[in-house]
Amino acid sequence: MSDLEHSTPVELSRTPNSVEGKRVLGVVPGKPAAGERKVIDPDDSVMVWPHLLVRHAVAAMVTLLTVMVIAVFFDAPLREVANPQNTPNPEKAPWYFAALQELLSMFHPLVAGILIPGAIVIGLVALPYIDNSRFIKPRHRKVAVTAFTSFMVIWIVLTLIGFMFRGPNWGWVWPWQEWHGEL
Amino acid sequence: MSLTKNDRDEAVGAHDGPDRGRADELVERLRGTPVGKSIFRSPRRITPRDRAAGHWSSFLLHIYPVKIRKKELAFKYSWYLGVVSMVLLGSLIASGVYLMFFYVPSPANAYTNIQTIQTEVPFGQYVRNVHRWSAHLMVLAVAAHMARVFYRGAYKKPREFNWVIGVVLLMLTLLMSFTGYLLPWDQLAFWAVTVGTEMAGYVPFIGDQVKEVLLGGPTVDSSTLLRFYVLHVAVLPTLIIFVLMIHLWRWRKDSMFDQQTEDGDE
Repeated sequence: MSDLEHSTPVELSRTPNSVEGKRVLGVVPGKPAAGERKVIDPDDSVMVWPHLLVRHAVAAMVTLLTVMVIAVFFDAPLREVANPQNTPNPEKAPWYFAALQELLSMFHPLVAGILIPGAIVIGLVALPYIDNSRFIKPRHRKVAVTAFTSFMVIWIVLTLIGFMFRGPNWGWVWPWQEWHGEL
Repeated sequence: MSLTKNDRDEAVGAHDGPDRGRADELVERLRGTPVGKSIFRSPRRITPRDRAAGHWSSFLLHIYPVKIRKKELAFKYSWYLGVVSMVLLGSLIASGVYLMFFYVPSPANAYTNIQTIQTEVPFGQYVRNVHRWSAHLMVLAVAAHMARVFYRGAYKKPREFNWVIGVVLLMLTLLMSFTGYLLPWDQLAFWAVTVGTEMAGYVPFIGDQVKEVLLGGPTVDSSTLLRFYVLHVAVLPTLIIFVLMIHLWRWRKDSMFDQQTEDGDE
């Protein structure tokens, strides 16, 4: 049940956009704006401009600067023109599919190519409806955190293996001896 | 997101008080003129109420809430990964549009177009580098954003559906990157896409048909290149921007409300 339905008039007046005790826009007294919600405490909130926007501007500039510096020092790769008759060995998918390609070398294609990625997508979509407790702190939702962390670790390891540790015929190589990763 | 004139004008309201300088007064006066009023709608920026009204009447600020919880300001709250992803998307659109001027999606032209971009087009190599590295970084940033939101518990009620929209955005990001991967039409592009689309062939019963729709034929060829190009420069960007708008709209709406938690103070 909504807290708002049982709130006192004093609490109701603490709507998020209230300034000097008056609501600025679009809040109907006595009703939550949408669904079952708890409004933020005005004492705990700050104006987005300048507080948040300045931080976002800095984050944006740092991001752009990073890209621009990387682009100065590293050229985008361009190999020989595509030749359908000449299959490279190893044949590698883009790095973000390297984990899938690694799975493909371990399981039947139906499992590695369809069932596992399908299950991952369905699992991600369903996550907020499965882990639907009112607990937010990681230590209060150990099952979800353990499951997500294990998935992430496995996925990162598989990605790194597929990207760096696989050479001709998908055999194992050490990246410091032979490099087959392509960006 | 870069600062606009409108943003800078809003800034003046931030340091009101006795030390309002002449610049502040000048801006205030300009905003009070008939033209200024017609642009900003809300000329005064002295009281918090004025500033909130000014925020609401600014198109550029309307994707942001007027106020936000203090703890959301901190770096550790979000690592600003949503902003980072959006900035990279902006960088990709800007660099991508530039590259489009010099690129024809056909096997006869694509590769030589890329060579021309790298050797003859002004800043061509640099813009292509920016596009390439922004794309890889965006995949990383969007994935990291998802992980941060997970550990933060920010997908909890009432934000469940925005997480789902986020998963859609991750898929779209991967598709954007993957379709773009083919466009240089070099060995790297051709075989990475061949491997990547082979998986579609494993879909039970209709695998071959799915692959055929994706590639425009049994193998990667000129119709694949055209399909991937249209998806990459028209269909997917439109979709991603549309879905992103819903994502941000829901973020703004939800930012005005606390999540209902049972684990006490953070």
